[in-house]
Amino acid sequence: MEGCSEPRLDAKSEVTNQLVDFQWKLGMAVSSDSCRSLKYPYVAVLLKVADHSGQVKSKSFEMTIPQFQNFYRQFKEIAAVIETV
Amino acid sequence: MAGELEGSKSLSGLLSGLAQEAFHGHQGITEELLRSQLYPEVSLEEFRPFLAKMRGILKSIASADMDFNQLEAFLTAQTKKQGGITSDQAAVISKFWKSHKTKIRESLMNQSRWDSGLRGLSWRIDGKSQSRHSAQIHTPVAIMELEIGKSGQNQDQFRLWIKRTALCLKDKQASNLKGKYSLVFNLHNSGAPGWHSR
Repeated sequence: MEGCSEPRLDAKSEVTNQLVDFQWKLGMAVSSDSCRSLKYPYVAVLLKVADHSGQVKSKSFEMTIPQFQNFYRQFKEIAAVIETV
Repeated sequence: MAGELEGSKSLSGLLSGLAQEAFHGHQGITEELLRSQLYPEVSLEEFRPFLAKMRGILKSIASADMDFNQLEAFLTAQTKKQGGITSDQAAVISKFWKSHKTKIRESLMNQSRWDSGLRGLSWRIDGKSQSRHSAQIHTPVAIMELEIGKSGQNQDQFRLWIKRTALCLKDKQASNLKGKYSLVFNLHNSGAPGWHSR
């Protein structure tokens, strides 16, 4: 994979994971054993990263809607700033 | 003494203690602690069923996530029941739920969150990359550090990087009123398999 031949960037720490895939889903937890009327919307994210050797591993986590909005906002900011560099 | 239990002064404190134990995961709030702190004149035998009753009421309200109308109807029914609650107690419970509802709901949501959460996010952009392996310079890269974990446990610090050419965001709003957002991220990465939103 072309991206994996890129060098490590950070001399003092190991930033070897390159983002290769980003999946998300929007869910609604309706009910649970502790709360019959839960009504909790959430976003679950699955990140796939490739290390230096090309091996792909996954990382998943969950966010509330406000957390996801913040996460998305940060992503947009990164995309905007990186264009100016 | 039954009279003590019918009063409403200590009930607010009792409900706080019950909420701490039932929803916010506070260990160590025992029957005996609540009794001795809030109803010292009452025997444990008398206190126990009273506590169970209040716990049951609080759990019913929280489980159904009652709005104010439902709450009033529910509490009124409780006052009319044999062995139910007094109208003073109903007022205390109502006031308690109104002021603690949000926090209790948040705890209940946390309890049903089994996947790790995103605890922190920081990022930086590096202007150039260069090494003896690659002649490529002027390749801005974004580095993100995510703190992923469950509350009360050690967080996992997860770092990743994204090439400038690989980062392109496109968002589309699908619906708005109920707070549903549909966003599509497009990541163009040559050689990588295409991916899509669900």
